[in-house]
Amino acid sequence: MKAVIMTEKLSKWYGNILGLSDVTLDIEAGITGLLGPNGAGKSTFLKLVTGQIKANIGSVRINGEEVRNNHRLFSKIGFCPESDSFYEEMTGWEFVTGLLKLHGLSSSEREKKALKALGIVDLEKNKDRRIKTYSRGMRQRLKFAQAIAHEPEILILDEPLNGLDPLGRRKLIRLIKSLRDEGKTVIVSSHVLPEIEAMTNDIILIHQGKIFAQGDIHYIRDLIDAHPHMISVKCSDPRKVASRFIKEDFILNIDFSSEKDTFVVKTNNRDEFFSRLPRIFIEENIDVKEITSPDDNLQAVFDYLIGE
Amino acid sequence: MKKKNTEKDGSFLSSFKNVFSFFFLLGRKSKKTKVFYILSFIPVIMALIVKFGQVFASRSSLTGIYVFSNFIMTFYLQFIILILALFFGTSVCSEELEGRTLPYLTTRPVSKASFILGKYAAYTLLIVAMTVVGVILCFFILNFDQLGDLSLYKILFRDTAVLVLGLVCYTSLFTFIGTFIKRSIMFGLIFSFGWENVIQYFPGSTQRFAIVHYLKSMLPSPSSGRFSFLLFRLEPTPPFLAVIILILITAAFLGLACAVFNFKEYILEE
Repeated sequence: MKAVIMTEKLSKWYGNILGLSDVTLDIEAGITGLLGPNGAGKSTFLKLVTGQIKANIGSVRINGEEVRNNHRLFSKIGFCPESDSFYEEMTGWEFVTGLLKLHGLSSSEREKKALKALGIVDLEKNKDRRIKTYSRGMRQRLKFAQAIAHEPEILILDEPLNGLDPLGRRKLIRLIKSLRDEGKTVIVSSHVLPEIEAMTNDIILIHQGKIFAQGDIHYIRDLIDAHPHMISVKCSDPRKVASRFIKEDFILNIDFSSEKDTFVVKTNNRDEFFSRLPRIFIEENIDVKEITSPDDNLQAVFDYLIGE
Repeated sequence: MKKKNTEKDGSFLSSFKNVFSFFFLLGRKSKKTKVFYILSFIPVIMALIVKFGQVFASRSSLTGIYVFSNFIMTFYLQFIILILALFFGTSVCSEELEGRTLPYLTTRPVSKASFILGKYAAYTLLIVAMTVVGVILCFFILNFDQLGDLSLYKILFRDTAVLVLGLVCYTSLFTFIGTFIKRSIMFGLIFSFGWENVIQYFPGSTQRFAIVHYLKSMLPSPSSGRFSFLLFRLEPTPPFLAVIILILITAAFLGLACAVFNFKEYILEE
């Protein structure tokens, strides 16, 4: 398949701080997940791809054309920024139709497209309210609506699921997938692995400004599964529960040093641990208060993978 | 059909018009516009007070048009147009940076020059409207008893034209400043109430480095009286030349603003 977005040796510094280093990528049609912890360089990459900032070294080409200062290209691109910023005094309708106006569309086309986009994100009923009265989730959906309203071929979404409730997330994920089915090219950034996993198998891992891995999500999933996990269990009798695990091979360590009613397990087989835990609770008649995974975030996984 | 749209997108005039109408709508709705609209009405309130004083005290020997001319000098030429141009001109670029809304505009098929010029035109029209409404109201209030005198309307037209030219020119300067200086308001205040107020009284050609010199050159020589110092000027430039210079200054600053906005990289603070 032909690459839609091509970057070559892309590097960006903010003064002495490295934003992105030597990124060469070919992105094809479909959904590409850009995954990395906060501050990894995801937004810098997306800003470079949309020509908002200049690369110190390297180039970005979309459909073979240079991006920076090539405003004509933007009739094909939809961008959803990460920041929660709007023209607060405008209504949702004015915001979307106003930005559509910048695409040179006629009044009837603008109205038709704005209505469609606002309908897709369930904002039709609230379209005449001022943006400053919108909830966080509505604002996030409005940002998405302005990105898709002109029906671009390429969508660049910077953390689009932030601030959405579970239902809203599910709906947006379904919508992004439907855009893929229409043959569009979508780049979605996130620091939450399951979010990306729900949308695509094709991911780019980014960390400290460098591309760490690119390809199938199963690769990173395997790496994560091999990474020892910490699981904290808060219950009525932590010692009794812990004693049932103590001889198991997949348990590396059990720690009681935190709170009185809590124990922390370190395991290299999270699935096995979670499959046995409910049975033990039932057999021993234990009241469960809380189960958390203190290091179940991308940063911990990255730290583990790069050996920090 | 698609091809037609792409062509439309690329046209500078069409982009300019679209940016203009987007920001004209936004400008009309913004809180800032409402606040400055009230501010621009202060001279109208003052005119009402003066007129009531004249009517009820029946002692003033000053004519309505004399007071009006001094209102133009005191409130408008040396204060209101500077403040309006400063706050609206610098915000052409800076409000997009501070509000972090710039990505919505720079990821559209409009050139950066059409963005700067379209927004500049929208904001200039807003402040021209604010100023002109206030000036006309002041004129009618102060000349309430002489409205049949047609020669007075000539003065109204001339003074309004000078103020509009002043707004157009100052706003272009502050638009340019806003594109490359972070604390553009502070710089603009120093320029407006420092440089402009001082340099115009320097002898020789130095006074020609102040925009207000050219604006004052289009107004008549000072008449004697209590407020004549406000119209004081040393060596006026011929009015026609003054207009040409003001237009050239405007074009130069707008050109610079477009160039800076095109080449400068704006990093939005998180």
